[in-house]
Amino acid sequence: MTPSPPPFDASAPPPPLPLWRRAALWRGAALALWSLLLLRSAVDGRLDLLLRAAFHPLVAFGGVALGSLALAQLAQARPGTAGARERLRAPERWLVLATALITVAAVVWPPAPSFAELASQRPRDQTAEEELAFVLPPSQRSLTDWVRLLRAQPDPRLFAGDPVRISGFVLPITGEAPQVARLLVRCCLADASPVGLPVRWSAVGPTPPADQWVAIEGVMAVEAAPGAGGEERLVVVPRGIRPIPRPARPLEP
Amino acid sequence: MSAAVLAQRFATAWALFQGLLIEALPFLLLGVLIATGARWLSPGGRWLRRLPAHPVLGPLTGAGLGLALPACECGNVPVARRLLAAGTPVGTALGFLFAAPVLNPIVLASTWAAFPDRPWLLLLRPLGAVVVAVGLALLLGLLGEGALLTGELLEERRLSRPLSELSLLERRSGLLGAPAVPPSPPPPSRPTAAELLRHGSTEFLTLALVLVAGCAIAALVQTLLPRQWFLTLGGQPTLSILALMLFALVVSVCSSVDAFLALGFAAQITPGALLAFLLLGPVIDLKLFGLLGQLFRPRALLLTLAGSGLMVLLIGQLVNLWRR
Repeated sequence: MTPSPPPFDASAPPPPLPLWRRAALWRGAALALWSLLLLRSAVDGRLDLLLRAAFHPLVAFGGVALGSLALAQLAQARPGTAGARERLRAPERWLVLATALITVAAVVWPPAPSFAELASQRPRDQTAEEELAFVLPPSQRSLTDWVRLLRAQPDPRLFAGDPVRISGFVLPITGEAPQVARLLVRCCLADASPVGLPVRWSAVGPTPPADQWVAIEGVMAVEAAPGAGGEERLVVVPRGIRPIPRPARPLEP
Repeated sequence: MSAAVLAQRFATAWALFQGLLIEALPFLLLGVLIATGARWLSPGGRWLRRLPAHPVLGPLTGAGLGLALPACECGNVPVARRLLAAGTPVGTALGFLFAAPVLNPIVLASTWAAFPDRPWLLLLRPLGAVVVAVGLALLLGLLGEGALLTGELLEERRLSRPLSELSLLERRSGLLGAPAVPPSPPPPSRPTAAELLRHGSTEFLTLALVLVAGCAIAALVQTLLPRQWFLTLGGQPTLSILALMLFALVVSVCSSVDAFLALGFAAQITPGALLAFLLLGPVIDLKLFGLLGQLFRPRALLLTLAGSGLMVLLIGQLVNLWRR
């Protein structure tokens, strides 16, 4: 004889769902994936390639906050909580799936931009410099220091013969020889603008390919600027050019 | 275009996409956390509904709320959505949505840091943002809530309001001949931590995906269109404004740093175009388009684009006439 089913009790809570059907579990997993992306970016060095350093702590903080939210959400999927009875419904299922695709793609496929390609799409940085209060000795100046100094003191003859030790990537310029350049970034790569210096590549041999990072040692010289204006400009005359890997922090503030 | 160039371009777009997304996500999270806090502090939006509903005072109050929220536009959208869902007068919420990305301490400080030698810009940027916000609130107010807000938001907004404020059709229930003013319902209880967590998590996950779409479009457009195109018209009084407005739509950077970006090309463009760039970007851009789509119906979204574009163009023209 089969036992009779228990009487129906409308006030009893519905039975808990299997773990894999609980919405809180998947919601927590999706938040954890966003957290993973931000935290991974904060430690694997990609932020140096994407954002100005001032924003790095914000990204790490966002990753920690999202991780905490993910843990709290996962705790809602435990048996005995109200979350254990909430089923993952269709719209949220797609939300979780799309989140997983995007975050996993971003984590496993790190950014590898071509700086020369990016710089070729952008106008030169034209920031007008105030008179510089502090100027490093010539051989200690970075490429950006040189560009800023030339804006504050535009007479190229003042610097002819100065020793130069700079690094940057090779940036092709339409109608003239490639320059050695750096990208200035105020916030993220989207607002990067290039600054560059002309180089007399023929002094040491063939011109390196576009996008190649190089360290240059040489001296500054004056030459006629391209065009019919009769203006002069500074050019780096290299004594030695050494290919180098892209620096860990390639963007300049 | 060869396959190698195409691959290089795609790799650059992918990096731009990641830069835009990773920079915006913490701000989006901040906005969702503030919105969730508002949900807890004001269950059912009782005091939010008491904010002024006057067509001009409302948007001005909303704009003033921006001084308390140091987030850029991505963070503002979830907060504005919360305001609208809680039953805040539409004009007030729109004033906040459109003006707060400029009228907040971080943006004002960064504008001052970038342009200490242009005091007129420090005055006209917040003033212009308020004018555009009030103008947009008035314009969008003409549509009426039903044609302005998405169905889901409208439903949430109706649930937050007392039945006595709704028409019989909006209530979707009731009896003809019943008392005109139904007995007031008990005050809504404070949501539990689990409810807040569920709501906040779903909101973040939804908006993050919308942000992904916006960043992807912005990164692709930036990679395919040379930036020089926008700046070649820099000296023309009207065309420069239009070009920089288009540039603001495409570049999609946060309002907290757009002044530093503008510093790089300020010397090449007219003053009106510079102001137009700083005014339009915080209201609408490619990255924001999807996020705003979570609040507005498509027609309202197009009206926002057209209305803000027209007002910013006029402001830019006036500045060019004045500073010529």
